[in-house]
Amino acid sequence: MAELPNPTRSVEEGLRNIVEFGFTVVPDVLTGPVLTRTRDALYRAAAEDRRRQREIETFALDFGEVQANQRIWNVLSRDPVFEDLAEHPLALEYVRHILGWPALLGNISANICAPGCSGGYLHADQTFLPVPWPDAGPQGLNCAWALDDFTADNGATSVVPGSHRFNRPVAPEDMAATAVPLEAAAGSMMVFESRLWHKTGANVSSDSMRAGVFAWYTKTWVRTQENWFLSLKPEIQQFGSDTMLTLLGYKSQGFGLINGKSPR
Amino acid sequence: MANHLDNRSVRQRLQEDGFCLFPQVLSVRELERARQGLDAGVALTRELLGTTHMPMLDPNAASVRVNNLPAIDPVFIELLLRDDALQAVAMTIGEHFLISNFTANIALPGAGSMSLHSDQALVVPPPWLQPWAMNIIWCLDDVCEANGATRYLPGSHRFTSPEEVPDNALELTVPFEAPAGSFIAMDGRLWHTSGENRTADQQRRMMFAYYSTDFIRQQANWALTLPAEVQASLGERGRALFGLNPIGNSRIAVGLISLTGKKT
Repeated sequence: MAELPNPTRSVEEGLRNIVEFGFTVVPDVLTGPVLTRTRDALYRAAAEDRRRQREIETFALDFGEVQANQRIWNVLSRDPVFEDLAEHPLALEYVRHILGWPALLGNISANICAPGCSGGYLHADQTFLPVPWPDAGPQGLNCAWALDDFTADNGATSVVPGSHRFNRPVAPEDMAATAVPLEAAAGSMMVFESRLWHKTGANVSSDSMRAGVFAWYTKTWVRTQENWFLSLKPEIQQFGSDTMLTLLGYKSQGFGLINGKSPR
Repeated sequence: MANHLDNRSVRQRLQEDGFCLFPQVLSVRELERARQGLDAGVALTRELLGTTHMPMLDPNAASVRVNNLPAIDPVFIELLLRDDALQAVAMTIGEHFLISNFTANIALPGAGSMSLHSDQALVVPPPWLQPWAMNIIWCLDDVCEANGATRYLPGSHRFTSPEEVPDNALELTVPFEAPAGSFIAMDGRLWHTSGENRTADQQRRMMFAYYSTDFIRQQANWALTLPAEVQASLGERGRALFGLNPIGNSRIAVGLISLTGKKT
């Protein structure tokens, strides 16, 4: 198995890991009651979606038994605790170093992989870009929050270490590339740059749930995946911090303007 | 006249020259409606913003800028959605594109030049190998060198990096010439700038309908800036082109569908 970087709280070491491996794991970012509240909020939203049959039928990146792989979109509109993830100082420190500031939040959604979840397709997050990809480095960054332990057999996100250096999307013949599970304790943040090949793992456990929240950040020229101006609940426009309003494009430069000026 | 331009010669001119002139495509009545709409836009901008000068873009107040045209008069939405314009865009940047912006620039006598740029170079990192944006430049007056026609650097749509822009690029630029009622379709990679209006008494009215590929964030925030009744008046195609639909930058999933041969 490929050598993997150790989880680290040091941003300096984490940034080196991202350069070398394409990702890093930051342990113990959410702990105690904060982790519990965040996890509870996600499972509550997931249960309500299922009860009300509000799930999107399938997501193109998933395969197999859809019931075992639940997606919860736009968690920002579901509970304020997810605002804390989107603008977590540690996440934004990585965003500033890798993408610069201002940056955009393109999406923040969750994925709960239950026993029987078959996993997903190998992909890189900046696949929307035609090839050749720029030499300028990653145009996006994913901060994935483990709300349960991510283990080898419960569907931990699997990555191909160093694949970001190929600087190209996954080709059909790459689908069989060896991906290793990112094992991380609940409360960890996994940071991976937008060129890293990764996928949702398969949950082959008998009773272990694996919930993760994925915050996707990009450079400001990239169009967001979520149309915040359509889907975001008004409270965030009202109460959101300047940082949050910047991430969502309400405070803006060069793009998303009104009369040539920032909306806020 | 435009009907002398078949698709093949349009495509050829766009590829070889980086632009194509569609002469006098507007009827006298359409031209008059567009001019009246722009007059209203100038008055509204003076009333609401207090100025039509944007110091970020232009050296002096003889360059009049009007933003947000589609919110001002339905004639501008008609222009944005015209088949001839949309065809020229699709021919160059492909079927997946959005309306990014629609603004006017009126060069009054004494108007100065902005800085030389390509629309794409301002936004996306090199290499610039494919056109990802296109300007449809509507000419509401006869435009010529003396009255401040847009100047372009011939062949510069083939530049793939900033190093290729010559030091004396500005001296090498030449003016577009077009009769009132024409549009010029311009590749987003073509380096250009506004000209100086050296006439004593002519105004030069041009409007820039800017389209970009759907993974690039739009310059204008249509969701916030288009009045509700205007949004409601748009058909499905119009809504999609303004980026008002729930689906944002999701090309990644589209790519994966083609990779696996499956459809969700």
